[in-house]
Amino acid sequence: MQPKLKSKVRCTDREIGEVTKVIMDPLSQEVSHVVVSMNGSGERQVLMGAVHTITDDLVQLRSSSAEITALPPFKREDYVTLHEVEIPGLERHVHVESGEVLVPLPELERNVKRRTFFANLTYVTGLFIGLPLVYPVLKFLMNPMYASLDNRWLMVGNIAKVKTEDVGTQFQYKRRVKEAYMPESEIEKNVWVVKATPAVLERVYQGKDLEFRDAAGKPIWTNKKDIPYLAFSGKCPHLGCGFKWRNHKVLGPVFLCPCHLSIYDASGKVLDGPAPRSLDMMPIQVSASGEVHIIDMEFKAGTKSQTRIV
Amino acid sequence: MSETPSGGTQISVAERVFTFVDERVGLKQLTAKMLNESVPGGSRWAYVFGSILLFIFAMQAVTGVLLMFYYVPTADHAYASTQYIIHDIDYGWFLLSYHFWGSSAMVVCVFAHMSQVFLWGAYKKPRELIWLVGLALFALVMGFGFTGYLLPWDQRAFWATTVGVEILDKVPVLGDFMARFLKGGPTPGQMTLSRFFVIHVMVLPAALIGLAGLHLFLFRCAGPAGPFRGTVMELKAKTDYFFPRQIWKDVVGMAVVFACISGLAFWEPVVLLDEATPDPGDYHPEPEWYFLFLFQHLRLRMFSGEVGQIMASIVLPGLLGLVLVFLPFFDRNPERNIFKRPFALIGWVVLMASILLFTVSAIINRDFLD
Repeated sequence: MQPKLKSKVRCTDREIGEVTKVIMDPLSQEVSHVVVSMNGSGERQVLMGAVHTITDDLVQLRSSSAEITALPPFKREDYVTLHEVEIPGLERHVHVESGEVLVPLPELERNVKRRTFFANLTYVTGLFIGLPLVYPVLKFLMNPMYASLDNRWLMVGNIAKVKTEDVGTQFQYKRRVKEAYMPESEIEKNVWVVKATPAVLERVYQGKDLEFRDAAGKPIWTNKKDIPYLAFSGKCPHLGCGFKWRNHKVLGPVFLCPCHLSIYDASGKVLDGPAPRSLDMMPIQVSASGEVHIIDMEFKAGTKSQTRIV
Repeated sequence: MSETPSGGTQISVAERVFTFVDERVGLKQLTAKMLNESVPGGSRWAYVFGSILLFIFAMQAVTGVLLMFYYVPTADHAYASTQYIIHDIDYGWFLLSYHFWGSSAMVVCVFAHMSQVFLWGAYKKPRELIWLVGLALFALVMGFGFTGYLLPWDQRAFWATTVGVEILDKVPVLGDFMARFLKGGPTPGQMTLSRFFVIHVMVLPAALIGLAGLHLFLFRCAGPAGPFRGTVMELKAKTDYFFPRQIWKDVVGMAVVFACISGLAFWEPVVLLDEATPDPGDYHPEPEWYFLFLFQHLRLRMFSGEVGQIMASIVLPGLLGLVLVFLPFFDRNPERNIFKRPFALIGWVVLMASILLFTVSAIINRDFLD
């Protein structure tokens, strides 16, 4: 039990005054001292160890009144009040007022039944406002997420640029895009073209033509297995960076992605590095005059299977 | 002497204003509560990081708002408006570079702050909630770095986002949806820029202010943990209040950080690469230095193939995140002294060493790519 403010303080011989203040220990969060008014002649700070018993209105000390009077006077300036300091949890440990501090309940709040019902009603109202918004908001934000695929042929350059067989040649091209409300603009992209020897062609096609289908499953183009021109999407199937044609010390001329060091041979097969699948083939046509046309395609990176996203 | 004081004490205007506010909100008591927070074991230079983070955030907010006076978040103007800030606006280069280096300083101080809490065992009971909110704040800081990086719309920006979002795409089942949701389409474009902009300047700051407030509130509820050594009586003897000794140290720390960021902004100002486009040209994509270790570990052969990708980009970072989240709940040993917690110490050293190793090897790898 903590000593209460205004309790009488009695020594072994006589009563010496009352409790005017209590001092809390910030670490143990217990009352460490009581401050006693010496019946008008100053205040003394008495250690709780000197307290014998505590009742609601009396603090009985073990010491004599002479011993208490001999203590040095209490120095208020060495302390701050509970309201001026932040010591976590301290206020909850203070019980020095006797009785309770009360505030009257307003007339209208007395005998109110169905409090739980009204509390639940606020939640239900919240749901009535929030739930109908979920779907519209989601649709609002999802609007541009799934664009339809574009299967137009794009001219990317002349095949005369490809000089040597089984060597990657980059064709840079511009693609016109119209995104939502934005003015039509051009973005730069690239595709890698390889003029393949029969051995490389066999590695790529393994005796089968490569058929491309649109989202509905309708065939749009077939890369014939005996046409020597291969087009690889410029996007690395590992995590979507742009790869290059480089001379590797051990592996010779290869496609190398500078991001995470995936390495592919001229047929697009993974030679080394983290890539999960071969380079992505794109539909390619080379006209009699040497114009190279492709259908611009991009595929989801990082997966074993191919999923077209553009 | 034309004036004579009337009635002994004269009240200045400032005092009147203070009294006016005090009567209405209890300013005196509030100020006292704020400043008289006892710091067990006394103030220390080691405790400055939290305040420094708050300072860096405030400066990021100020410089960020200033940059928005000129920056235009559209695919056709973002690059031009950023170049305009750098080359044409008085001190634009400095404010932009300060904002840029401020983000690096933020990451460094977050690492220092978290390491300290970890090593001091300050995440333990009763401070579990402070730790959890702190982790959420860490995620927000990383989110700030990631979304802000796209805004200048140069090649660096474009490719960091391209690869970053592809990593998100690797989340099983939901990955594709989340990546498209963030990009606002199948590939980065205007919708991506709009989304990253609004996340960077509205969503994340609002979340950060709320959570930082909660972090501080919870911190004040539990109080500072104090040193992990020393008896109760020793700690009590050295205890002081937040003001003035700790605030003094915090302010010095802030000034040092400010000088560092300003110096970096001055001597290493931001230089943009070419405008963003899906053709990287000669540019070798690379994230900002504090993401390099993640970038580098994705190169490891053990993480090749589809499963390897999910392991490296989702499972491993996810597990690390989960370990940090559950740390205060499975580490119930009240011992806080790091030298008596061998697993914690070894874990921290191993994590820091591998981050350092991967970062350095990513930097060394650069030389082999050209």
